Amino acid sequence: METIKNFFKTFLLYELAKGMALTGRYFFARKITVQYPEEKTPQGFRFRGLHAQRRYANGEERCIGCKLCEAICPAMAIKIELTEREDGTRRTTQYDIDLTKCIFCGFCEESCPVDAIVETRVFEYHGEKRGDLYYTKPMLLALGDKHEEQIAKDRAADAKYR
Amino acid sequence: MNFETIVFYGFAALIVFASLRVITARNPVHAVLFLVLTFISCAGIWILLEAEFLAITLVLVYVGAVMVLFLFVVMMLDINLAQLRKDFWRWLPFGAALAGLMAFEMIWVLGSAETSGGKTAIRHAADYSNTKELGRLIYTDYVYPFEIAAVILLVAMVAAIALTMRRRKDAKSQVVSEQIATKKADRLRIVKMPSESKAANQLSGEQK
Amino acid sequence: MMELLQTLQQLGQELLGPAWLPVWTAVKILVVVVPIMLTVAYLTLAERKVIGYMQIRIGPNRVGPYGLIQPLADGLKLLFKEIIIPSGSNKFLFIIAPILGLAPALAAWAVMPFGDGMALANLNAGLLYLLAMTSLSVYGIIIAGWASNSKYAFLGAVRSVAQIVSYEIAMGFALVCVLMASQSMNLGDIVRGQQGSLGMLNWYFIPLFPMFLVYLISGVAETNRAPFDMAEGESEIVAGFHVEYSGMAFAMFFLAEYANMILISFLTAVMFLGGWLSPVPFLPDSFIWLLAKAAFFLFVFLWLRATFPRYRYDQLMRLGWKVFIPLTIIWVVVVAVWMQTPLWVW
Repeated sequence: METIKNFFKTFLLYELAKGMALTGRYFFARKITVQYPEEKTPQGFRFRGLHAQRRYANGEERCIGCKLCEAICPAMAIKIELTEREDGTRRTTQYDIDLTKCIFCGFCEESCPVDAIVETRVFEYHGEKRGDLYYTKPMLLALGDKHEEQIAKDRAADAKYR
Repeated sequence: MNFETIVFYGFAALIVFASLRVITARNPVHAVLFLVLTFISCAGIWILLEAEFLAITLVLVYVGAVMVLFLFVVMMLDINLAQLRKDFWRWLPFGAALAGLMAFEMIWVLGSAETSGGKTAIRHAADYSNTKELGRLIYTDYVYPFEIAAVILLVAMVAAIALTMRRRKDAKSQVVSEQIATKKADRLRIVKMPSESKAANQLSGEQK
Repeated sequence: MMELLQTLQQLGQELLGPAWLPVWTAVKILVVVVPIMLTVAYLTLAERKVIGYMQIRIGPNRVGPYGLIQPLADGLKLLFKEIIIPSGSNKFLFIIAPILGLAPALAAWAVMPFGDGMALANLNAGLLYLLAMTSLSVYGIIIAGWASNSKYAFLGAVRSVAQIVSYEIAMGFALVCVLMASQSMNLGDIVRGQQGSLGMLNWYFIPLFPMFLVYLISGVAETNRAPFDMAEGESEIVAGFHVEYSGMAFAMFFLAEYANMILISFLTAVMFLGGWLSPVPFLPDSFIWLLAKAAFFLFVFLWLRATFPRYRYDQLMRLGWKVFIPLTIIWVVVVAVWMQTPLWVW
């Protein structure tokens, strides 16, 4: 009996019909597409987008040139050169991030002892020439200045988990 | 010179050209493709003769199936042209004799009054179906030759398979019929489990 | 409608004389081919939309309202792309292959009966002609594969041609059942043979149900569509026989595939679902019914693609040779015997 049932099931393509019924049902299901430029998916406070360098409230740049980020960067996207400033502190003369190499893992941000290098929520950026995605220190600082409010809020939200 | 004559000479010229190219083309793939062209032009001429069944069958069987297999074989061949040229003169007399014989036969058959008799194609009414006529002839007057031809073909097919089929003992292969015959129940056992343990429940309760 | 055509004929006859016949034929061909091309264009959009909907997405919706201009945009893009001819390829064959692929797909429409007596050519051996035309379409593929001088293209071509040739046999036998039932190879007569007082119960898909399924599945395999799209095999052999093609040459293959799909849908409707006949006796027969049936099968094509994973090649060959061909041969005998008994009422 079971065999006969299976025979008919095979030849009447029962299982295929079942599969098609499933996709057929989804044909009428509510669509979940996000219409991107008009609609956007929500971002978490740990969102890892474009990098930025932060400053303290008095305008002093945070980065102390410890090179931890350069060391930990798995893609070797960060390049740092150092010098001693006239007040005796160690500062960077060059802080470049090659975004074409960067994999946005967030290790630099995590390794930074002074929260100088951070990843912002900005993800809509582009380059039109080859060098456009090679971000230098002034560019990163400018980004930090621009988004400082959002960055500070995100740091505060993340603080209790650190 | 009416339209049909123009079409006929067009097709005829195409046949002559293509069949010449079949034997002169250097690349065997081109030769096969020219043979295909020859067949299609022949079909055209047969359609002019209102033998549409034969014409379409020629396209269907020879062009659509036989020549495709031919192409398959020829495309996979590794052909050394110089090697082929070498024996050209040795086989020339043999080939020429064969060609002469065939030409003679054709002239004999087509030229004699008995077989063709200078007959022209007969015009038929629009509802005349030469498929039906052919079927009637094959299954009445020519039923034995037809059946014998069929048996010969069957034997040839069986022989070809028997000659080429070798089962290597060490070759591993899947048994597709077995794979397909398996049912969900043979492979998959669905076990019901409570989704959360008691301890996990308590833990999550505490966090709230 | 008919009178209008008559007057048009007469007018043309008077105006152009003997040159009218080729002009009129060209007009008739255009009347059939242009809608097919438009259908092909919008079928690509429909495919993306339908598959999108089944994957709870919405598909293209940016170009024009609901993405309705998308096919034109795609067409334009392909038109302006460069046709790259690989070095070491056979240029003449490389260029002619897509044309050889598309031409039979369009030529087959000559015998399609759109309504009672509405066919470009009322051929007595229409069914044979169709089979011949579909069997010619392999040349485009095999020549493309060989002329590209690329092993991916060649392997893709070999796979796809082997598949098409295998399934053609099953398809042919399924059609043999139809022509036995209708006792005619004229497509118009086949549809007329399905006429009756019971509407859809008179159609051939009831006595020939297994053949209907075989024909439909072979049709999917014949057109190299998912789940039988081994020829393309995006994830295995990068695109099969047309890897080396770009721009309009590629578009021709694309057109051929979709034109074949539409052809198979119409043929299934004509052979098994009574063509232009109405499914219920109280509604009039009309061209609309044929369109509706064909549209349904086209939807099934897309539906299949959205549902099933790709077949494995050896399983595909097994299905063709060891399941379909024996099944069709047995059913030919069954139908032959059945037709001799009084139980045959179709």
